[in-house]
Amino acid sequence: MDYIINGIKEAGNLLISLDKDVFEIIFLSLFVSLTSTILSSIVSIPLGIYLGIKEFRGKRLFSRLVYTLMSIPSVIVGLVVAILLSRRGPLGFLDILYTPTAMIIAQTILVTPLIIGLTYNLSKNRGKNIEKVGKTLGAGRLDVIILIIKELKIDILVNIATAFSRAISEVGAVMIVGGNIKSHTRVITTTISMMNSMGDYPMAIALGIVLLIISFGVNSLIYSYQGDD
Amino acid sequence: MINLKIYLNNIKKYYDDKLVLDIENLEIEKGKITGLIGPNGSGKSTLLHIIAGLDEQYLGSVLYDSQVMKQEHYDRMTLVSQKPYLFRRKVYDNIEYPLKIRKVSKIDMIKRVNKVIDRLELEDLREKMAHLLSGGESQKVSLARALVFEPELILLDEPTSNIDPDSTKILEREIVRFNTETGATIIIVTHNREQTDRICDNIIYLEKGRVIS
Repeated sequence: MDYIINGIKEAGNLLISLDKDVFEIIFLSLFVSLTSTILSSIVSIPLGIYLGIKEFRGKRLFSRLVYTLMSIPSVIVGLVVAILLSRRGPLGFLDILYTPTAMIIAQTILVTPLIIGLTYNLSKNRGKNIEKVGKTLGAGRLDVIILIIKELKIDILVNIATAFSRAISEVGAVMIVGGNIKSHTRVITTTISMMNSMGDYPMAIALGIVLLIISFGVNSLIYSYQGDD
Repeated sequence: MINLKIYLNNIKKYYDDKLVLDIENLEIEKGKITGLIGPNGSGKSTLLHIIAGLDEQYLGSVLYDSQVMKQEHYDRMTLVSQKPYLFRRKVYDNIEYPLKIRKVSKIDMIKRVNKVIDRLELEDLREKMAHLLSGGESQKVSLARALVFEPELILLDEPTSNIDPDSTKILEREIVRFNTETGATIIIVTHNREQTDRICDNIIYLEKGRVIS
């Protein structure tokens, strides 16, 4: 029991003393997950909205496929990206395996079906009514998509927060394509996993606390915005 | 066909193999207020949706000034629903929306929005969030949003059902005034025969999807 209490105490010290290693890891985690979530959102939100209001053949099959991909294991995404980016792979010439860029690519692929699926569902259920009103007021196709995004912005923000949470908390993909290299590709989750296997709990607990604080902060931000609206 | 605004020819609409609208020929006169009446389920709202271009799954043709309906026609018409959807923004911004997407100049936009706000007596509501308004207030805002861009054709789907008599009076007054001032064609679905007597020039009676008179 003592080692747990000591671990928590030391974790507190690491955070309070602004330990360079700890903050380097936190910064990289935030950078990779935020970048992948933003990149994915730029494409996935308009696409999800459009597909939600559009009637097309195979829509049911499409939704099943997207819902399946929403829960794809991160190690599979990591494995596919690693194969593609490995030296012998089709994209090996890019020479980006074991870099933050590869981690961003893997996480973007991981969260894209999630954002498309959640936005598609939102648009399918509530977008049609907004589309109808927009059309009767003279809105074109692009105007309608912008209108729906604006009308559903809070729900869309919740979807983005969900995707960000998935990105920052996953370990499989970043471990495989990043390699957990110190001061280069080491992020919160890969560090916790490594420290746990080494029995070095203070650092693992400190980063675990940070992960919880980030999660709490993101959710608080969204819910306070929801409350304001 | 001359002087006719809307001509419906052999319109048939099915819902799961059930024929819900069967109109051989129907002419709707230009510049008039036409009341569309009939029992529930007689196809009134379906007909409005077909004219507005919101329902494309039907047989037959709708002609507008002797032309098949195109986007340019839809841009000059609007539909106000029984339960209007107002955007989650201020009343003023809701009314401004149709002008914004038409890229009307800022000065003209302010003038036109203020005019409909004044006429529909919405001054006290202009800064309120539209989606939080009561039924009567929502209907007035919805009509203001429809009138602000001065459409040639307005389709009104039971705009005064479930609202108070004062709001009904304001809406009716402004519908008639808009028709008189701009010469717009207005089609209004209603269950209220007294209302059709008060404001309509023509009445179309629908029953079981067919035009009776």
